[in-house]
Amino acid sequence: MPCEMQQRRWKHRYCKMWKSVVAAVAFLAVGGSAFAASAVNKDAETRTLIVTEGGGKTELALAAGETVEFCPNGCFVTLPNGDLEALTGSETVEISGGVARIK
Amino acid sequence: MFFRLLRLVLILALVVVSAAPSFDAMAQAIGQGSAALIAEQQKAIQDLTAKTDDLEKKTSQEASDDAGLVDIRLQLEEMSRAALTSALAFRSRLSDINNRVEALGAPPAEGQPPEPEIVSSERGALASEKAEINAVIAGAQNLSIRINGLIEKIGTTRSELFRNVLTKRYELSDALSPQVFSDAQDEYANLYKAVSSWLGFALKFKFQAMLAATLMALALAAVLFVGGRRLFGRVFEADPSVEDPSYLSRLSVAFWSTLLPTLAVGAFLASTVFFFNYYNVLRGDIGVFLNALAAVIAVVFCVNRMTNAALEPRLPNWRLIPVETGPARWLVRLTTAMAVVIGFNNFLSVVNDKMGSPLSLTIARSFVATIIVGVILILMALLRPFKAPDGSWRPWPAWLRYTAIALGLFTIAAALFGYIGLAIFVSLQVVVTGTVLVTAYIGFLSAREIGEEGGFAGTSIGRWLSANSSYEDAALDQLGLVVSIAINVMIVLVFLPLILLMWGFQPGDIQAWAYKLATGITIGSVTISFLGILTGIVVFIIGYFLTRWFQGWLDGSVMARGKVDTGVRNSIRLAVGYAGVALAALVGISAAGIDLSNLALVAGALSLGIGFGLQNVVSNFVSGLILLAERPFKVGDWIVAGDISGTVKKISVRATEIETFQRQSVILPNSNLINNAVGNWTHRNKLGRVDIRVGVAYGSDVKQVHDILLEIARGHPLVLKNPEPFVLFTNFGLAALEFEIRVFLADVLNGATVQNDIRFTVLDRFDREHIEIPSQPRAVVEPKKHEAWPIDDDKIEVEFAAQERAKAEAAAEAQRLAKAGRKARKPDPG
Repeated sequence: MPCEMQQRRWKHRYCKMWKSVVAAVAFLAVGGSAFAASAVNKDAETRTLIVTEGGGKTELALAAGETVEFCPNGCFVTLPNGDLEALTGSETVEISGGVARIK
Repeated sequence: MFFRLLRLVLILALVVVSAAPSFDAMAQAIGQGSAALIAEQQKAIQDLTAKTDDLEKKTSQEASDDAGLVDIRLQLEEMSRAALTSALAFRSRLSDINNRVEALGAPPAEGQPPEPEIVSSERGALASEKAEINAVIAGAQNLSIRINGLIEKIGTTRSELFRNVLTKRYELSDALSPQVFSDAQDEYANLYKAVSSWLGFALKFKFQAMLAATLMALALAAVLFVGGRRLFGRVFEADPSVEDPSYLSRLSVAFWSTLLPTLAVGAFLASTVFFFNYYNVLRGDIGVFLNALAAVIAVVFCVNRMTNAALEPRLPNWRLIPVETGPARWLVRLTTAMAVVIGFNNFLSVVNDKMGSPLSLTIARSFVATIIVGVILILMALLRPFKAPDGSWRPWPAWLRYTAIALGLFTIAAALFGYIGLAIFVSLQVVVTGTVLVTAYIGFLSAREIGEEGGFAGTSIGRWLSANSSYEDAALDQLGLVVSIAINVMIVLVFLPLILLMWGFQPGDIQAWAYKLATGITIGSVTISFLGILTGIVVFIIGYFLTRWFQGWLDGSVMARGKVDTGVRNSIRLAVGYAGVALAALVGISAAGIDLSNLALVAGALSLGIGFGLQNVVSNFVSGLILLAERPFKVGDWIVAGDISGTVKKISVRATEIETFQRQSVILPNSNLINNAVGNWTHRNKLGRVDIRVGVAYGSDVKQVHDILLEIARGHPLVLKNPEPFVLFTNFGLAALEFEIRVFLADVLNGATVQNDIRFTVLDRFDREHIEIPSQPRAVVEPKKHEAWPIDDDKIEVEFAAQERAKAEAAAEAQRLAKAGRKARKPDPG
């Protein structure tokens, strides 16, 4: 429904406001698309992931409750239980009870 | 999630139902499927490893070929992705195994009864399968590390190569000896021979095909050109009759008049090459030469069109860059010459490559080309393109002039000293970077134009918006400002990476920088993330608008229909607004990644100081909240606070705006309204009493006076019957017997009118009833004498007629005004 028609029902400025909200949401949707994998540590102790990205390995220590973004363009990661997994860079690694799950 | 659960339940059910042997078979089946997958991926990784070996060998062989290295790097990147993909293939199987292991539970600890045979054997099978998978993935990982190492190595090799090109010095005395001329002649003869033999062959055997190819290419270009002209003809041509075209129309003319002809020419050249290839007219080297020639022609044409469009030597009104006509013409010529020189040099380098000509020839050619480019640069810098108001010619701004001269001198000097590679690099960069910068500058100019007042409304989008939406001029102007900022940001985002790419940075570097910039720069222990801050701001803005919308909806739809009192409505609206904005700010801050607990620490440390410093503000703020909750008065009430009496216009969080009856706005801090007594005439209702004091002379009949006053009070239509009007005999005054008429009004805001009416009536009635109102004259006033009786009858008649006419006119005017719906304002009560 065009704004002119809504004027009768609502005060006009809310209609304009809607437009702004829609624009803002669209912007956020574009800008908010994540471009890195993230790891969440839900345990009460520090957990370590070993990330192989590019030509080197780095240890990624996650403090209790911490969330970290890493690995923007794909990488290999060694999980706390010793499993080796490949990530494309859009997953979420969730560690709870010492077990990591990839979502 | 649900399906995973379902799967688990199914597996468990199967385990429970199936007997041991059938279960074994199933586990085996799963194991076999997995084995196939493992074998497949192992093979894939082996292939990749073999390819990597190949490429590594190639890398060391082609260490001096930049283009080859780039190609190898692209292949390596592709393979790195492939390694990752093959490792990814195990994800679902791994998660299955993990789920199964979890379902089996932990192995029994020592001292506990051992678990059944099936379970322990399955556990073992799963573990070994997992180990196998892990081994394959580890292989992929190692491969990926190796590939990335190779990519890095290629990067360093390339930069070394680049450095070598720039720092390599050639002996000019060898290159510029007379030998070069004979070499050049030989080469020219070779080229001539190749071309002429090809031409002879083509004309003899492929004449028809060539003709057809050329005609088809021409037809395509013509269609493109004519069609484009048809479609965009209006914006395409500069109209010399327009006195002062807007910058944006100049820009669009420049853009289209560059793009369309260039596209047409490009299409013609590309299709010529394509059809020649298609009909097999080309042969051997000729194809390469033709390609290079086409590229050179396209570039020179484009540059010429662009400079012509931007500088418009014939139409000063349509110029994008404000230089004078003569210099504009020269600039176009010089730029075109530069493009021709560089293009021709490139073409010759292709020819040299193909003909395998001696190095000295290449050096001599590059030498000449760079010297010419340097000279052209210096000539451009020495142009005086602007005219001062007094008519004298002014040069370019100093920085531009000196930069250009320095670059030109540098190119020439590098060439003269034998650093031909460096000279070529600099001259090429000057041209390309210069073009990019000029384009960016034109973009900036147009952004500024849009951002100026009324600039956006003049564009076609602005016109469309103002026609099709209800945005007003001010809103359009703000939109224009936003658009201009957006254009500026876009220019930076587009042109900065472009220039960086030109200067030899890798896209990967730029991407990594952008990523770092977006996700966070760490300074000390503080990480600043632009993306985070941007997200925070966006979230806040969204929260703000949502709050506003909710506020409006609550106020306009819910409460208005619920017939809620305006004061309550206002209070709720304000409270919702403040709460919403505070919430949005909090969410925004946390979305920006700023830890609120850190903030709390700072706030704790500073709160004492802030408390003292902002004592008044805080007290007013709290008072404002109390005012909203307690509502001792609402918007529209007539209040008296100290000396100030007036209508409440707005209650905001720090102060309340009161409009006195003299229409003066008084901003009263809220704490005053909380701490001091505030009189509200219209708190619960607008009922109010008005007192009018009257004195009558001693000797009057007080009974009669009392009756008359009461009668007058009762007779007024605005005076309430209940509470009854009352006349009080207040005092035996010094000069008069004092009475007071007390009347109640339904709306105390009508007090002034009622008082006026009653006083007039009292005076009238007393006059009629011969009741005197004594007064103590303090000033003696001589009554003004009337004019002497006029003698001239004619004059009296004329004057009387004029008076009558004026009266009639006044009456008519009054009637007209009354009809026009002008309502007389109610006088103020105060």
